[in-house]
Amino acid sequence: MILVSALGAAAIGATLALFFVANARLRSANSASARSATVSAAAFDVRASVVAIDVALQQVVEEYSATNLAQWRHASRSWEQPAAALERAAAASNDQQERRAHALRDEIRSYIDDYGEPVVGIAKVSPSAVRTSDANTEGTLRLDQIVTDTDAVARNAAVIAADRSAAASRLADQATIAGIVALVLTPVLLILLGLWLARVVADPLRETVAAASAVAAGSFDVRLNERRRDEFGELAQVFNAMTESLAVSRSELIERADSLERSERHKSELISMVSHEVRTPLASVLGFTRLLLERNLPESDRQRYLEIIDAEATRLAALVSDFLDARLIEEGRFSLRREPFDLRSLVLEQAEVTLGHDESHDLELELPERPLQIDGDRARLAQVVGNVLSNAVKYSPEGGTITVGAAEDHGHARVWIADEGTGIPPEHRGQLFQPFYRGDAAAAGIPGTGLGLAVSRRIVEAHDGRIGFDPLDRGTRFWFDLPLEAAAAGRL
Amino acid sequence: MAARTLRPLILICDDELPLRELVKAVLGDGYRYVEAEDVDQAEEVLKESKPEAIVLDVMLPGKSGLEFLSELRAKRRSKGIPVVVVSAWQSADDQRTALRAGADAFVGKPFDPKDLASVVEALIAA
Repeated sequence: MILVSALGAAAIGATLALFFVANARLRSANSASARSATVSAAAFDVRASVVAIDVALQQVVEEYSATNLAQWRHASRSWEQPAAALERAAAASNDQQERRAHALRDEIRSYIDDYGEPVVGIAKVSPSAVRTSDANTEGTLRLDQIVTDTDAVARNAAVIAADRSAAASRLADQATIAGIVALVLTPVLLILLGLWLARVVADPLRETVAAASAVAAGSFDVRLNERRRDEFGELAQVFNAMTESLAVSRSELIERADSLERSERHKSELISMVSHEVRTPLASVLGFTRLLLERNLPESDRQRYLEIIDAEATRLAALVSDFLDARLIEEGRFSLRREPFDLRSLVLEQAEVTLGHDESHDLELELPERPLQIDGDRARLAQVVGNVLSNAVKYSPEGGTITVGAAEDHGHARVWIADEGTGIPPEHRGQLFQPFYRGDAAAAGIPGTGLGLAVSRRIVEAHDGRIGFDPLDRGTRFWFDLPLEAAAAGRL
Repeated sequence: MAARTLRPLILICDDELPLRELVKAVLGDGYRYVEAEDVDQAEEVLKESKPEAIVLDVMLPGKSGLEFLSELRAKRRSKGIPVVVVSAWQSADDQRTALRAGADAFVGKPFDPKDLASVVEALIAA
């Protein structure tokens, strides 16, 4: 903006300056021709007084009389004034002219002193002697020279004046052209300035308004051009930063709302699952109690029903305490009772407990010959193996082989349990260890609380271990690593 | 002996032994019973006999009770057998799903012995 304004001002200023200079030159040319006229007039006067000197000298030579002598005396003085005037006028032109006028003055004085006066002196003594052609010739030559020099001063003055005048005229022409150019250029510049202002101010303003409206309408992916190097560039940066942070906060809010919604859904699924798990034994307890109260039953039946009630109530109690336990572990409120033991025995024991009476699954054991000695909470780790094993059974309803293995691996003991079941769809893999997360299990009618893997992870991590899974072509392999006893001791 | 063979046969399909015991105790000596722990066993039973009524649990290992019910209704031979669905899933939605699958009655767990007895009685009488 400043650049274009400066450009316009400079163009107008330059034109005006050109006019001033042209005007000044014209004036100087005028005064030069005035001076030239003065010089010409002075030169004419000098020429006339030199001619008068010559005439007076000739008359003295013709006739040495008092009158003629007085004429000569007058003439030999009266040139001084015009010569001085010429020198002054010439000095106003230039140094060369001044030198010439000065030289001319010396020349005339020398003519009078070195030729005129001696001729007059000789004429007084012997008039016939000065009438010789020799003397006359020298006088004529000197006089011609003086006249020529006088004319040269006048001519030079005229030349200088003409030069000045031509230069002034050229400059005046240039000034006129510049004036015309400025006349045409100024509106063009004004139009350009207008366009530039529109581009620099109005366009970005309009873009900013449009972008702000878009943001107000909820579209946070609009961005302004930040590459401008003016205030609009700064505004664009601030605006973009604001829009980005708005977009981030919105997506965070959406994410939080989604995760709340997910956890709400998980909780409600959990509640219905727990109520289902509780209702089944409760149905037996309540049903048999009611029968005992309402019917007159034989002693053998009464005894049997009471036993069932006892067993189901015990199961109910275990269920509730399991669930509370799971919650405590999941919330991290538990401590480990560590003891050294062989992980192989634990794995074997859990495999037998879970799969011993399962006829639909085949068990394949892959255990090493050497013991896998670790330092950990045996009961909690049994819970982990039990959880993963019961998942393997639950999520392979069609049966198949369940492989249970353990091995030493880089200072760790690794345990794996692989099934040939339904596998885990990719969309559920990320949240598998989240509490209450059950994927599609609720819809598929598979019982559970969604706490098993979350609890298992807590327990494994409390042992400085890792838990994970690998999807297989058919089914899934879950694994967990625990530090071997030597490694654990080494770290302490 | 003739009177004994006239007692209606009831198929109880539930994976929980105490629940099967309870159903038998509630319905009493007026019926004969055949038990199944899952859908496979229930299908075996249906090949050999035609029960007068079925008491069916929903959450069974393997195939679910409702799936079994839908298949039952699709076969001409078993289409008319009255089915009472007994389930711990007892929201309005669960009941609707059961009735849509072809259940004649729905009883939630836990249940009042008198309710189950009267429902089964009414279905067999009809």
